[in-house]
Amino acid sequence: MPFTLLPRRPLLVLMMTLLTTHAHAHSVETAHGPVEVASDPQRVVTLHEGALDTALAAGVTPLGAVTTRGGDGVARYLDDYLDEIAIVGVVREINIEAVLHQRPDLILAPPQLSDEQYALLSRIAPTVVPPAQGFTREAWKDDARLYAQALGRAEQIEAAIVDVEGRAAEMAQAIEERGIDSGATLVRWMPQGPLVMSSQLFSTGVLAAAGLEVHDGGLVPEQAGHSDPLSLENLSRIDDDWLFLATLNEDGEEALAGARQSPAFERLAVVQRDRVVSVDGQLWSSAQGPLAAQAILDDLERVLLP
Amino acid sequence: MSQALLARPGPCLAATWLTLALLLMGVVLLSVLLGAGEVGPSRALAVLAGSGDPEARFVVGSLRLPRTLVGVAVGLALGVAGALLQAVTRNPLAEPGLLGVSAGSAFAVAVALLLGASATTLRVSAAQLGALAGCLCVLSVTRLRGVGSDPVRLVLAGAAFSGLLGSLTALLLLFDQRAADEIRFWVIGSLSGRRADDLLAVLPGLALAAAIVVSIARPLAALSLGERVAAGLGHRPGRVRLLVIVAVALLVGAATAVAGPVAFVGLVVPFAARALAGPDIRRVLWLCLPLGPLMVISADILSRLLVAPSEMPLGVLTALCGAPVLVAVVRARRMPIL
Amino acid sequence: MSLFPLARDATAAKRAPALPPPSGCWRLAWQRPGGGEASLLITRRSALANAGLLLALLVASGVYLALGSVHLAPRSLAAVLVGGGDPVARFMVIELRLPRLVAACLTGAAFAVAGCLMQTLARNRLATPGIIGIDNGATAFAVASVVGLGVSLAPPAMALAGAATAAAITFGLTAGGGSRGYRFIVAGIGVGAVFGAVTQLLLARVDMDTANAAYPWTVGTLNARPAGALLVLGAGLAVGLAMALQLSRALSLMRFSDAVAQGLGSRVGCRRWQVLAVSVLLTGLAVAVAGPVGMVGLIGPEIARSLSCPRGVPIVASALAGALVMVLADLLGRVLLAPIELPVGIVTAVVGGPWLLWILLRPHRSLA
Repeated sequence: MPFTLLPRRPLLVLMMTLLTTHAHAHSVETAHGPVEVASDPQRVVTLHEGALDTALAAGVTPLGAVTTRGGDGVARYLDDYLDEIAIVGVVREINIEAVLHQRPDLILAPPQLSDEQYALLSRIAPTVVPPAQGFTREAWKDDARLYAQALGRAEQIEAAIVDVEGRAAEMAQAIEERGIDSGATLVRWMPQGPLVMSSQLFSTGVLAAAGLEVHDGGLVPEQAGHSDPLSLENLSRIDDDWLFLATLNEDGEEALAGARQSPAFERLAVVQRDRVVSVDGQLWSSAQGPLAAQAILDDLERVLLP
Repeated sequence: MSQALLARPGPCLAATWLTLALLLMGVVLLSVLLGAGEVGPSRALAVLAGSGDPEARFVVGSLRLPRTLVGVAVGLALGVAGALLQAVTRNPLAEPGLLGVSAGSAFAVAVALLLGASATTLRVSAAQLGALAGCLCVLSVTRLRGVGSDPVRLVLAGAAFSGLLGSLTALLLLFDQRAADEIRFWVIGSLSGRRADDLLAVLPGLALAAAIVVSIARPLAALSLGERVAAGLGHRPGRVRLLVIVAVALLVGAATAVAGPVAFVGLVVPFAARALAGPDIRRVLWLCLPLGPLMVISADILSRLLVAPSEMPLGVLTALCGAPVLVAVVRARRMPIL
Repeated sequence: MSLFPLARDATAAKRAPALPPPSGCWRLAWQRPGGGEASLLITRRSALANAGLLLALLVASGVYLALGSVHLAPRSLAAVLVGGGDPVARFMVIELRLPRLVAACLTGAAFAVAGCLMQTLARNRLATPGIIGIDNGATAFAVASVVGLGVSLAPPAMALAGAATAAAITFGLTAGGGSRGYRFIVAGIGVGAVFGAVTQLLLARVDMDTANAAYPWTVGTLNARPAGALLVLGAGLAVGLAMALQLSRALSLMRFSDAVAQGLGSRVGCRRWQVLAVSVLLTGLAVAVAGPVGMVGLIGPEIARSLSCPRGVPIVASALAGALVMVLADLLGRVLLAPIELPVGIVTAVVGGPWLLWILLRPHRSLA
């Protein structure tokens, strides 16, 4: 998505110069126009998984966050970075009173925040909403940079993004050198058939950066996260070098066992070569941010480059 | 006792029945030939002729044939269940789907998901139990006895009960986003990916229900003449009603177990059968046998072709077909009381 | 409150001395500007019931403003209400809780009045707009808007359009109405079932984020609702309530058989459509604010009926009871599992569920 990326970089530079000159407060360009943010926000509440990830990567521990999809708390992959955090609602239902109770001085919100909620939240504290970009591989970097600007930690996140890019490039090189097959498809298995995930998601974007060629079988409509359940008769469309099977379960093996009950699935070459990888859906289908990218690369390294 | 069923069909009914049976065979053939995948009619025909490539053999033998068989069973079960339910409640609107069966099934699936099952491994038994419980609950609370005088009451009770269960389901899902995400794919009936094993698992239930239906066909017909007439002919109305409920629960439970909630088949099929055969329950039951599978398999073929290479859930199509029939029943000059 | 105009004819009032009011009623008489006397009969029990409900609603509102994820002491609440208090408490009460309280009262009243009208018309406690599928139409349209089916209307407007569409289809299919509006109800259930299937299909085809965005419209919630729709509801409720009161006399006749009602001078067919129209209008406007919370349409009138005089149609009491139920349900939803909020639609369903089963299990009684 070069169209959205290009105008952002000069803006970023501008922001960083502004940061150094005006230490007390700075303005951030959000989906709802420019927002004034204190220079070093101390009481941060994140209402988006990507925002929580970014804040932690930048060394800021938020006071409150929403739960991850499919869990009672924040995503499991963040356990190492976080001891305790107040839950201020679920993704579907943000509890504005609970946000207010934290007395935040900065709220990092998801791009999908409704206008009604923005109207209330922005009166509690400066609320940073990234512009909605739909499904693009690079959108998470823009979101992370925006959150980082708001946190006054643009350098740290820029460095974290560079780290991710560097590590992915190294892995891409290693995969190429070792001649590992690079085709990959990410699906979620449903009773009627698999949902093929878009190749334009955060996780599939990370796979692509790490040198895998991510396919969606031409099944995912423009600007959708995944396809309709694919007919079992067409299962050959997901027969790839690697098949990543995401599940929101604790235990990904269970989803794999479910898929294996289907004779159409068992027939796939990728299954017979034992190249089906079950992965944590909390991380692979709902998280985003530099820490999540590192965690996905960890998964990938374990499987492809043992 | 099967004589009671066999004695009736006159020449006219036999001709209609044969026509329908032929139509059904044609649709079954189409169902084997057509699909969302790349195996077209010619390759499928080659398989039927005994040759054909392995890919086509797999698609026809392991995917299309089982789901067609399951479709036949589901159609039979739902059509007959609808006819029985309507006869015993003397209410042309009594339809398993409107009686909280779908809601009960979705609720049971939500509970199972919350208890840790995964949508992919969830055994159909949960859905079956839920469907049964939902059906029994509505039927018992509305007290079949009083329903004859108020044909709308049963439907209202079913709708209210469904609403209640729907909210309870939403409550359960509130705490579990994973279940909320997976159940979206469970609450509409579908024949995709069904295997012959699934059918075998519910066959005993279907066989038992068939035995009950054969044994109560004659008393049921007598019951439609009024309770006193039936008692005078030596039948026991209370016992007949109970047996019908058991049969309906078995049939609907089995159908829901293999296909999930499939709405409106139990309304449309008996309606069409009555239009062709008149009010005699035995003749209606005869015609339900080919009509039920005919409707389900036609809908399933459409579900495969409309949005290929994906598939549309069967339950959506039957709901769309069923609504006009519901309206037709309601628009009939007076609410027919069976 | 049932308002029976006793003597409109001034000359009649002048000629005969005023009758003593029937037992259990108060007679309210006043001089007309043009001379003569007009009077109203007020049923004592209904008046007391309404006063009681209003009092309960006020108390519940006070508690609603004080409690939540963060509890306020009565003193600081009072400070906020008279214009002082600390800014955070002030923001919480004035900006977060008060608009939500207003939304709860208005939607509750609208749902309950709509339910009361339709129940009385059909002589069936279960016949409420929520149960006969008008909510389903609204939900289907709102969800279609959220999942982006190429429509530019905002979800609240779409919800209203959906309720209107469901009702219009049902109206159209049942032209003539059938006896007691039964045909309307049954066709409504069918139409609702189809809309329900459409909603499921829409939700099964989108990704999780979009399904989440559509979520409030599938369960009914009062969290951060659109202010515009609330204003429209306020205006619509005023009009709808006035029309409902106007119709209540005709309705109280409709509880008898059609022949009796006609004999008593009611144009039954015409009134029936008017009642249905008001009921659908109120439901549509309320759904546009809060989503499908249809159970209030069942519980509110039930409470009102058990408290009020059995002879009249308890329109005002239903409105008050509906508002009370909605306020209490949302209060419970906010407090029970804080900081996780339970949507109000789920609370009303869980509370109303046992009630519903009780109604179903009771021996059949007509509303008359």
